[in-house]
This record gives sequence, C-alpha cells and structure tokens, in this order.
Amino acid sequence: MVRMGEYRVSRTAGEQLITIGLGSCIGLALIDRDRDIAGLAHIVLPDSKDAASGAIAQPTKFADTAVPKMLDELARMGARRSGLVAVLVGGAQMFSFGSGGKSTLDIGRRNEAATREALNAAKIPVMANATGGTKGRTVVVHVAGGMVTVKEAGGTESELWRAGRTR
Amino acid sequence: MTTQYTEMQLDALREVANIGSGNAATALAAMLGRPVDLSCPYVYAKPLAEAVESVGPAELEVTAILIQVIGDLETMVVLMFNENDSRVLCEALGVEAGTEVGVSALCEIGNILGASYLSALAMMTGIDLEPAPPIAVEDMLGAILSSVLALGASQTDTALLLDSRLLVEGSDANFSFMFLVNPGAKGIGSLLERLGLGS
Repeated sequence: MVRMGEYRVSRTAGEQLITIGLGSCIGLALIDRDRDIAGLAHIVLPDSKDAASGAIAQPTKFADTAVPKMLDELARMGARRSGLVAVLVGGAQMFSFGSGGKSTLDIGRRNEAATREALNAAKIPVMANATGGTKGRTVVVHVAGGMVTVKEAGGTESELWRAGRTR
Repeated sequence: MTTQYTEMQLDALREVANIGSGNAATALAAMLGRPVDLSCPYVYAKPLAEAVESVGPAELEVTAILIQVIGDLETMVVLMFNENDSRVLCEALGVEAGTEVGVSALCEIGNILGASYLSALAMMTGIDLEPAPPIAVEDMLGAILSSVLALGASQTDTALLLDSRLLVEGSDANFSFMFLVNPGAKGIGSLLERLGLGS
C-alpha cells in the first residue's frame, strides 16, 4: 500500500504496488519495460518550492522531487534508465468551491502538469494515463510483466498499460 | 513540519469536538424527530500518510458533505455517510437516497449540523467561524479525504482531525462528523490560546 506522499519500489515479481482512492493526487508508476522492476509514488502536490520549510517529510509528496527520487531508487535496484517508462493515474478534480473558494482547487490538474514536466526533463516517456475528470481512482502496479490496472469509483478494474515483452 | 501537540492540548480539542458535535446532535435530533447519540470524539494529530486509514477504509464508497469554514480559522467540516447512513437519513426525511433530492437532503443535514457545530465553537472561543454553502461529493473515502488534506499539505505533514460519530437511535446509521484543521494555517494557535493552552 502506497499512502499519501509515500512511494515504493520493487523487483519482487509477485508483488503489487497499490494506492486506493487517488483523488487530486497522482499515482506515478515507473516501470522498467525489460525487467520486473517497478515503482509507485503517491504525489500530493506539484511543487516542493511552495512548501513551508520542514513540510517535506517525503520527497515523493511533491511532483518535482518525486521523479528524481524514484529514478535513483529504481537505478539502485538495477533498472536501466533507457528502459524506464511512466504511467500516470489520478489528478481528478473531486470538488470545487465556486467563486468564494480557493484557487488551489485545480490541484489535480497542476499535479499532472508538474509530473509530466519532471518526467519530460528526465526524458522518461509517458505511455498511458487515466487522469483528470471528477472521479477517484485506485491503481495497481503488477511488478511481474509491468502491468498497470485502474479502477474508478463505482467502476470495474481494467488494464491501463502492460509492457510488451518478447521474452 | 510534523506539528506536535501536548496531551493537554489534544484533550482540549477533544472537548471542543464534544461540545460542537453535541450541539450538532441536538440539531439533528430536532430535524429527524428521533434521539441522536454522540460517541466520544477522537482527536488525531497524525502524519498525512496515516490520516485516511484512521478515519475508515479508503475504498469505502461514501457521500461526503464538505463545508469550508471562512473566518479566523482555516478549516473544513466534513460529514461522511455510507450507503446505509444515507438510506436511514433520507428515509427519515421522506426522500429517496441516491437521487438528486436525496443528496440535497444530505447537504441540508450537513448545513444544519455544520452551522450548529461552528456556532458552539464560536461561542466557546470567541473566534469568528462562518460556514460556506455545503458541497456534496460521492466517491471513495480515500479519494475525498486525501484531496481535502492536499489543500493544506504544502504547509504541514500533520493532519489534525477532530472526528465525532453520531448515531441515530433505533437505526444502524452511525456516521462520521469531522472537523479538519490545517495545523500549518493561521488560526489553530489562536484557538488553543483562547482555550488557555497556547504554546
């Protein structure tokens, strides 16, 4: 289980990395398309520079710091940088408070944009995404075979992406 | 920042939740024409990562009523009804759960409960607390709560939740009534000060 702001990486083929109930947060799956190595980060906010000093318990709480952190961890596990791809889930707008509310309510959209920007800077391609809209989502990363499944609130689980391996 | 609170401060916040939700329970009882019980409120000051699981299963489908609070304290009142709670409450008000009318009845319950909770708090502490109009969201508990917590997450790694449970007598409706405070934002310090427990 990958909770708010946390991340997990794994090279245990039988393992599943799961986040239940992503709303405005982003579930960032990074997958080695050639090996059974994968990671999942639960990103809460776009930019660590907006944070009050000391409000950064986990680098993966923010999109800009989550991407480098995950890339380091995956490299340490033996993933090959050139084989890494990304899948994005979440970034919904669950509610809006109208004119009196805060402008921070498009956090979901800003989370996705910041995550894509950080991936772009690291030259990691985004292969698939289930993002935006107004519904919460659950994401499961199956380390074996590099498969990502998604389930929307009130929906059924479906495959979003799978590494097409020949071996 | 992982904000720390002393036992005495948490006790004081528990008392605040007790008085606020006591007032709300009385208002709900009057609305439904049925007694409403209140269980001892929980106060959590926990890392963000642990916040959702302390409230309930992340995958649980709920109808949440969100009430933003405008005034001296940056906070949010959150009510969460599972399918059964929604059915019991809507039936008591003579509307069908799961319909548009049902959802707006839950909004109205949120409105009245939120206002009575906040007015008790305002009276107790002298802090100005105005509820904004309620918003209904139907989704997974985890998706709703994490998105609410994300609003304050740039200032803190701590979630401060005052969670009371209201039970409608003669039914199994038993729902969560939360007062969610962003410890990084203005106001919580002065709330504790008014209670004589400033840091």
